[in-house]
Amino acid sequence: MSPTAFLAQSLAAGIHRIGQIEIRAVGSGFQLFHADDLALVDQPDHGLTVHRDPESARDISTYAEDDTYRFTKGQTNLKRGWIMLLDSLEDTRRALDHFYPAALGLAAAQREGTLQIETLREKLNRQTGMYRFARNISDAGAQQLVQKVCGPAHQCAKWILWTLDANTPLDDSEASRFRGIPGNLTENEAIPLVCREACNHFVAECRKVSKAEHAAS
Amino acid sequence: MPITPKPNSALLIVGHGSTENPDSSTPYFDHAEEIRRRGLFKEVHCCFWKEEPSMREAWYLTDCTDIYVVPDFISEGYFTQDVIPRELDLTGPTTTVRGKTFHYCLPVGVHPSMTGLILRRAKEVAPDVDPATTTLIITGHGTGLNQNSTKAIRDQVDLILASSAGYAHVTDAYMEEQPFIAKWDELAPTENVVVVPFFISDGLHSFQDIPVLLGIEPEVGPAASQREIFRQNPHLLRSKTLYYSSAIGTERHLADVILDQIEDFDKELKVNG
Repeated sequence: MSPTAFLAQSLAAGIHRIGQIEIRAVGSGFQLFHADDLALVDQPDHGLTVHRDPESARDISTYAEDDTYRFTKGQTNLKRGWIMLLDSLEDTRRALDHFYPAALGLAAAQREGTLQIETLREKLNRQTGMYRFARNISDAGAQQLVQKVCGPAHQCAKWILWTLDANTPLDDSEASRFRGIPGNLTENEAIPLVCREACNHFVAECRKVSKAEHAAS
Repeated sequence: MPITPKPNSALLIVGHGSTENPDSSTPYFDHAEEIRRRGLFKEVHCCFWKEEPSMREAWYLTDCTDIYVVPDFISEGYFTQDVIPRELDLTGPTTTVRGKTFHYCLPVGVHPSMTGLILRRAKEVAPDVDPATTTLIITGHGTGLNQNSTKAIRDQVDLILASSAGYAHVTDAYMEEQPFIAKWDELAPTENVVVVPFFISDGLHSFQDIPVLLGIEPEVGPAASQREIFRQNPHLLRSKTLYYSSAIGTERHLADVILDQIEDFDKELKVNG
């Protein structure tokens, strides 16, 4: 299913959330806003900054409230204080592609069972240059790193689908159990954010651990 | 001639990106928005090696089943010949991957229309300087991974030398290969020197590393969005007057070069088809 069709079908089924963003149909258009601003949105003087261009989503989502760079979009530190008023489903999908790149298509494929998942070893073995050394991380080091870097306790809202290799699942932890939906919503209310491959931040952390392991050996 | 609209196709702009520098991907999104604004494609997307969405996620990005892929890279080299085809599962100019057809165009940096962009940028940064008293240095990264990486820059040097631009001297220089940009003053026989970084973005290399190699900055500084280094021209250094421009890829006309590559791809396909 195409990303736009998946979004339409999800909204029609009553889904109203992806990541930290609340999606609301209003007439023929849509509103997007931070879920934590839900109580403000319907107040006449809500004080939220209004955006009408879907491209604004990139600016909103680049930096966190404390001005740190959001190096991965699954981070749960999305800025509050804004609302997007969008004219069409296509514009809504464009905005969501900036907030959560490819998330709609990935979630659609995951639901259909067609998502191609890449193990950590496959990802690390494709790294070159300064990141080539990341492939030397031990299994134990990688398992510990998942618990130090991933999951909502470390500001990542994604559902990890990958394993270390074809035969090695992730150790049980809060990070490995998390299903990509922040807050207390169910899959009937929210589109999960799925993680089909380790992100580049994780790869960079693997490199650091790998170097430390090498130095200690 | 303007490109024929492709209302059923998507354009996928492929870039490098960075996990550390938020300015790195800005030009790619700017180019995408410029092309989207013209309404030539049903969808315009970006994907990256070091940012989200990744190249392997790109298949899931679009509703379209016909996709033009343009590497927003400055040369044919390791990324365009090895990494991008591998990541997108491309086996030739046109490849169908799980029901979606990808047309793989050449990178922007090798298109002949880049020459005009370099000369425009050089003129912008040093508008009152006579080319006859000026050395123009086009600088890039240089890498041992693929010898083609520097070819695009050497080609541009040849094209500018053959043009009527009138620079006293034109040369290439690199961060990690000879001739080294750190020795820019030795490469330039003239008093005035204009350095144009042949990079897509004002990321780590062009904004933070090269200024240190040139001697403009004592150490690697903050990202471009937090500084205004280019407005401090000229720099009086090593007994010369140095003008340093922002990266060539930040030129808004690069969107036209992306479209030029698609047009050339289609022409080539027709010739060979």
